Amino acid sequence: MHLSATMENNNRITKVNCRNEKISFTENHFTATNHKTASVVSPWTLHGAVCLQRLPVISQDRNPIEEQFSGLMQQMELERSLLSDHELRLLEDAARMSRKQEEDYDSDEEEDYGDKEIVTAQDLEDAWEQKLKQFHPAQRSNGDKLDVSSSERCLADSLVLLIKQDVGSQKVWLLPQIQWMAGETLRQTAERALTNLPGADLKATFLGNAPCGFYKYKYPKDIQKEGSVGAKVFFFKAVMFSPNHLPLKKNSFAWVKKDELKDFLTPEYLKQVYRFIMSL
Amino acid sequence: MAGIVCRTLSRVVSSQTSCCSHVVSVRHSHWFTSILSPKTSVPLRAEPKKKKKIDPRREQMMKERLKKKLKKLERVPPELIPIEDFITSAKCFDETRVREVPKLSFEETERRALLLKHWSRYKFSQHQAEMAEIKEALEAQRQALDELKIESEDLYKAAIAPDTDLFPFQHQGPCYTPPIPNYEAPDGKYNDITRVYTQ
Repeated sequence: MHLSATMENNNRITKVNCRNEKISFTENHFTATNHKTASVVSPWTLHGAVCLQRLPVISQDRNPIEEQFSGLMQQMELERSLLSDHELRLLEDAARMSRKQEEDYDSDEEEDYGDKEIVTAQDLEDAWEQKLKQFHPAQRSNGDKLDVSSSERCLADSLVLLIKQDVGSQKVWLLPQIQWMAGETLRQTAERALTNLPGADLKATFLGNAPCGFYKYKYPKDIQKEGSVGAKVFFFKAVMFSPNHLPLKKNSFAWVKKDELKDFLTPEYLKQVYRFIMSL
Repeated sequence: MAGIVCRTLSRVVSSQTSCCSHVVSVRHSHWFTSILSPKTSVPLRAEPKKKKKIDPRREQMMKERLKKKLKKLERVPPELIPIEDFITSAKCFDETRVREVPKLSFEETERRALLLKHWSRYKFSQHQAEMAEIKEALEAQRQALDELKIESEDLYKAAIAPDTDLFPFQHQGPCYTPPIPNYEAPDGKYNDITRVYTQ
């Protein structure tokens, strides 16, 4: 029962996007079918959108209070602890050294000395230190070299993918969305929205069948005809698990943190989207 | 009959004078007969055969007693496997390991107390913020589902159906440094010294 309505709306949207062309013949064909099926058609067109997140890759830097507290905890643990084997060994070596320096030192009095060459605990520590220096970990922060379109940006925060699409006649930043087609669930619409991104090869896991939020907007008055008042967009959350660079042209997509969203999205849209994007 | 045995013995002795001395001394003993004589042990020949009836009974009694003893032993419950986490090792009670701790000044204790209070306030506010964010997200989802129900029943039913492919869900959590691309980790060698107990 929604089939005819969406076909109509499809044509209307195409009419919206390419205003110069007239596609009235197809519209007439489908209005004919509309009269045949007398059904309750909701005035809202449905869209499915995907809120794709790249979860944090590294741990966040500590606040000053967190730094202080972690320092305090380490100190307190050290005070309450017993000496470990390694520390005992260090103390023994130090004692042996001091005994060696004395004038009346007799090596035969040493217990358990034997002929073994002494590897002091300090030597071991130095050897371990050297081995650690041979390993070069990757850099935690890339600095400001990366711009908004790279997904390797702020590795300590979770980033959301935004796309610049044209809605009506304007180019607007929004979460990737696509119109719902009959016969599929809204989650499949969201998956289609993700795969339909030009040049995208993103592997994402969708978190459940239920939408996490919605946003409805009305079309401008001149487009509102024959029952379609506006659109309802249902957002679905997805988590990216393979880092891929979208070969889209620049300025058409962005990876943003939650607090940067306000620079990109319109206020009404932002208000709804802000609710379900988590920055924990 | 004894005479026959003696004659066979003497015959054996005379025929086998070339045998070793210890064999000859054995043969001279009246307990050991030659191979040619009938296979009867000496005591049986002397006494009447009463033991045939009593022996099996006695053997049975012995067997039963042994079985009862075994059962008594087996009734003891098996020794419990010790939980190594609950046993404080002897190292902790070693007096040579006591650390010398310098006494804390008054300022230090004050600083610590104030820092702990500051931390609890910080953590509380963090918790409040987290709970509020989660609540907001849940509310947004609930409203979305309500709207979807108004739109179409079929889509709503599809939305609230459980997703079987989601769990078990795995995700690599954040580390201190990002992963090095194309890194080959060296093989780690280790000696596994965990104790395995069997009952």
